[in-house]
Amino acid sequence: MDCYTANWNPLGDSAFYRKYELYSMDWDLKEELRDCLVAAAPYGGPIALLRNPWRKEKAASVRPVLDIYSASGVPLASLLWKSGPVVSLGWSAEEELLCVQEDGAVLVYGLHGDFRRHFSMGNEVLQNRVLDARIFHTEFGSGVAILTGAHRFTLSANVGDLKLRRMPEVPGLQSAPSCWTTLCQDRVAHILLAVGPDLYLLDHAACSAVIPPGLAPGVSSFLQMAVSFTYRHLALFTDTGYIWMGTASLKEKLCEFNCNIRAPPKQMVWCSRPRSKERAVVVAWERRLMVVGDAPESIQFVLDEDSYLVPELDGVRIFSRSTHEFLHEVPAASEEIFKIASMAPGALLLEAQKEYEKESQKADEYLREIQELGQLTQAVQQCIEAAGHEHQPEMQKSLLRAASFGKCFLDRFPPDSFVRMCQDLRVLNAVRDYHIGIPLTYSQYKQLTIQVLLDRLVLRRLYPLAIQICEYLRLPEVQGVSRILAHWACYKVQQKDVSDEDVARAINQKLGDTPGVSYSDIAARAYGCGRTELAIKLLEYEPRSGEQVPLLLKMKRSKLALSKAIESGDTDLVFTVLLHLKNELNRGDFFMTLRNQPMALSLYRQFCKHQELETLKDLYNQDDNHQELGSFHIRASYAAEERIEGRVAALQTAADAFYKAKNEFAAKATEDQMRLLRLQRRLEDELGGQFLDLSLHDTVTTLILGGHNKRAEQLARDFRIPDKRLWWLKLTALADLEDWEELEKFSKSKKSPIGYLPFVEICMKQHNKYEAKKYASRVGPEQKVKALLLVGDVAQAADVAIEHRNEAELSLVLSHCTGATDGATADKIQRARAQAQKK
Amino acid sequence: MESEGAFKECYLEGDQTSLYHAAKGLMTLQALYGTIPQIFGKGECARQVANMMIRMKREFTGSQNSIFPVFDNLLLLDRNVDLLTPLATQLTYEGLIDEIYGIQNSYVKLPPEKFAPKKQGDGGKDLPTEAKKLQLNSAEELYAEIRDKNFNAVGSVLSKKAKVISAAFEERHNAKTVGEIKQFVSQLPHMQAARGSLANHTSIAELVKDVTTSEDFFDKLTVEQEFMSGIDTDKVNNYIEDCIAQKHPLIKVLRLVCLQSVCNSGLKQKVLDYYKREILQNPTDISYVYSGYAPLSVRLAQLLSRPGWRSIEEVLRILPGPHFEERQPLPTGLQKKRQPGENRVTLIFFLGGVTFAEIAALRFLSQLEDGGTEYVIATTKLMNGTSWIEALMEKPF
Repeated sequence: MDCYTANWNPLGDSAFYRKYELYSMDWDLKEELRDCLVAAAPYGGPIALLRNPWRKEKAASVRPVLDIYSASGVPLASLLWKSGPVVSLGWSAEEELLCVQEDGAVLVYGLHGDFRRHFSMGNEVLQNRVLDARIFHTEFGSGVAILTGAHRFTLSANVGDLKLRRMPEVPGLQSAPSCWTTLCQDRVAHILLAVGPDLYLLDHAACSAVIPPGLAPGVSSFLQMAVSFTYRHLALFTDTGYIWMGTASLKEKLCEFNCNIRAPPKQMVWCSRPRSKERAVVVAWERRLMVVGDAPESIQFVLDEDSYLVPELDGVRIFSRSTHEFLHEVPAASEEIFKIASMAPGALLLEAQKEYEKESQKADEYLREIQELGQLTQAVQQCIEAAGHEHQPEMQKSLLRAASFGKCFLDRFPPDSFVRMCQDLRVLNAVRDYHIGIPLTYSQYKQLTIQVLLDRLVLRRLYPLAIQICEYLRLPEVQGVSRILAHWACYKVQQKDVSDEDVARAINQKLGDTPGVSYSDIAARAYGCGRTELAIKLLEYEPRSGEQVPLLLKMKRSKLALSKAIESGDTDLVFTVLLHLKNELNRGDFFMTLRNQPMALSLYRQFCKHQELETLKDLYNQDDNHQELGSFHIRASYAAEERIEGRVAALQTAADAFYKAKNEFAAKATEDQMRLLRLQRRLEDELGGQFLDLSLHDTVTTLILGGHNKRAEQLARDFRIPDKRLWWLKLTALADLEDWEELEKFSKSKKSPIGYLPFVEICMKQHNKYEAKKYASRVGPEQKVKALLLVGDVAQAADVAIEHRNEAELSLVLSHCTGATDGATADKIQRARAQAQKK
Repeated sequence: MESEGAFKECYLEGDQTSLYHAAKGLMTLQALYGTIPQIFGKGECARQVANMMIRMKREFTGSQNSIFPVFDNLLLLDRNVDLLTPLATQLTYEGLIDEIYGIQNSYVKLPPEKFAPKKQGDGGKDLPTEAKKLQLNSAEELYAEIRDKNFNAVGSVLSKKAKVISAAFEERHNAKTVGEIKQFVSQLPHMQAARGSLANHTSIAELVKDVTTSEDFFDKLTVEQEFMSGIDTDKVNNYIEDCIAQKHPLIKVLRLVCLQSVCNSGLKQKVLDYYKREILQNPTDISYVYSGYAPLSVRLAQLLSRPGWRSIEEVLRILPGPHFEERQPLPTGLQKKRQPGENRVTLIFFLGGVTFAEIAALRFLSQLEDGGTEYVIATTKLMNGTSWIEALMEKPF
């Protein structure tokens, strides 16, 4: 502990840099790193090595090997390279390995060496070959920039949405630039290149010469250039051993340094962090590592081995055959606490806690000191923050213990920052583990977010760890556990050596009814792998029919889709499948399918009723549904046929169908209608006038109104119109004609089956009180009062009502007594009532 | 969500689209007002809707609903459990307005004559010819009071109201001080609104009365009552016969025949054929527009709240379709702790339509002091016998 700052190296007055080991690598490299193409992804990502590249004239028969390792050196994949010569390797933001071939083809591999896809950088690149290539990251994604043999640049800012851009020519460029890099400014990718003593900036439109401000004289060539992680800063290394550091816009110089080493460095990268005190660049030669910044002295390290630098957001990772180290500027909180003889509140709190554990009274002294200055809150915060930047769990714990101790003496310290830091560190320590091999720092983790970290764990197929983290952080299931299980299942269905049964069962066992898991997505993946049977099995578990059905249709399991759609009750879905089936199957099969699905059949009938009448007929025919066929033809007789003959023929078909359906009544009624139609035609021919399409009743009425009583009688007999209705009919018709004589004759022809009240009513309707009175006398006793009231004979009505001793009739009459004229009658009724009550 | 054809689609054409929409609607309702912990139902369609709801709930797992439930129960009722009620003429004030003029989305169109402004010297020259359109809902104080009353009781309420209002207007003569006059004026808008509302409903009541006092209405009602008491339901009915002969509207005839059929549990073939023949021979144009009987649907709701359906297992078995009970478990945090005296809330969903009179009966139930249940009513269509039969008729194509 006493020499905790032993590995701290000051740079200038303000900043310290420290380098600590992340892992000791036992990846058993056979080759030297310098003999390989190397690509290491940022954010503690994987390392790809392509051994035995083509630049060495070794035996051409030996195929090179592409190896992928975790950052801790755990092998993830190893494959023989069977394609063309590779110029450059790089990782995309999604941790896909992009391999740029000499012919401009870019092959994309997954983390586990699985081939994903490939694309070409265009014809021009193909013709002129690739001289050099860089993979770079922008806010849109990952881009590829290519320098061709013709010294022209082509780039795509986002390989996910490939748009090739050929950069303008550099005038007079005869040889390859000594060094170049991609810059990203204002969301546009540029290329900065050095040719001899000159620098050029290429954007879409033009090539412009640029001069870094304050560049020392005497430069005849640039050997290296480096852009910072955030594209904000640029460093240039010249052949005079001079390093210029400034903004990437080349408008401002930050500082310069002369290292007096003229040998071209192997690598140069920026080493800074958000809110850095110092801007520094790390330069690596074969055996030497140098950190230079705005200070007269540099920090120097000796490299025992061939090493490779990986720039990170907040430092530089350095790995070699045996170790993996992290070099960074000591964060402010750590510096405050651990700086020798620091009196910062955090440092005092850490001391206080240590003394407390030793049960020494000094603890109280330290604590008092902090409290007197009123800096306890700040002290706790410092300890929490510093814990985040420590790599060793021991040191994290001791700082957190100090924070926790300090918290006890604070009244209202919000606990979230402490709790969150504990959680974050637990997650970080878990993923930093050697077996997992993601050496994220706290700042990187916050920049990456937990969601992306989970994605990366899923990408490494570390499902159990991902789930544990989700559960530990209590992430909502849909974002957390469910999502990971779904990924797991998608991976599982690709295991071709396991039987469909077992895979489906395993998946269902794990996933069960976990909310938010889309079985249809997993099934779609299985189908994508050519495992249709498995996909169907998986779809069984999908609760959402809306998701099941389209995939089933895609897999040509339309009948299954139909029953699923029916189960859901969603008729739109059923129609979707029906129309699909209709096109897919021949008519016979289609109808047969429908027959087994009553609900679908009735829906399809509905559809046909509106869209395809002929099909409807076929459907009924196939089912021997004669009743519906009959109705169908009846409708057709009205809708389609104009001529009488046609209509009668259609009706005949309908009648036949009704007979087949054993619907005697409908058949007879249809035949009657045919008879009536023919008859009406004859009537029109013989008598003129309009008879067609009248109802039987109206036909008879029309005949009577026309004075053809005989024919009317005949018709009524033929069609057996019931007596009652015939009476009504005649009564109405004769009253309409105002043929009172005939009406009276008719009324006396025999006893009326409808009584005589209707006669009274109809006469009154025609305002013929005289005639009405004739019939009123013939009305039966129970309706007599009503009839008398109708003809306005209130007095007699009263007499009858009194005679009947009917209370209801009495009040009815009473309600008809108006004013003075019927005063006497009203009195009479009242008297009768009184009498009735007495009795 | 109004679907006139729901009944026809479900029962005649086997098209369950409206049921699917009903289930969807209920899911949305639950998303907004909390999961309803208990579902009761009676009838085939009710069963299907409940099944769909359970299915949809399964589809939505993962998004746990955390809204405190407003409803305690959901009662799904098939229209075909009680076909009788909508066929009978409704006798509440609102029901009669609907029977006679048809209420569409709470608006009713009335003949304008009765609403003509009574001005002197007008000579009745420019009577409005356009139908008078009125909105009917309980925001109108008077309407809320009389809508569910039997029409016979409406007259006395209206005349009482009239006295109260004119008395209120008389107050102005007593107002002496400026303060009193101010107070009177401040009440004026309210009083004027009340007076307008009273005038409207007096006119409507007169219109309705013209119909209800007619001989024919009385006869029809008598026949309905006879049918419902089971008198002569197995014979050809005189009144129906006369209606056909006199070319009464087809829907009226069909409605009576249906009513007779329901009361008789189906008509004898001979009687049915006779009616059919009569109607065929004398069809008419489609161009026109409960006392002492408690609707069965409402009885079912009432018995559910107390003492529960278990007491009427026997009866339920006689009615068509299955009856069922489903529980939707709630997270403990959302379970309701009922305060004493707090009412249960039951949502009743009528699949295939509901009439104003049934609603009135349910309102009556929830007003009963010891009822303890509030009812919220949902349906596929607010209907009456006429609109129902209309929807059932095949459209010529």
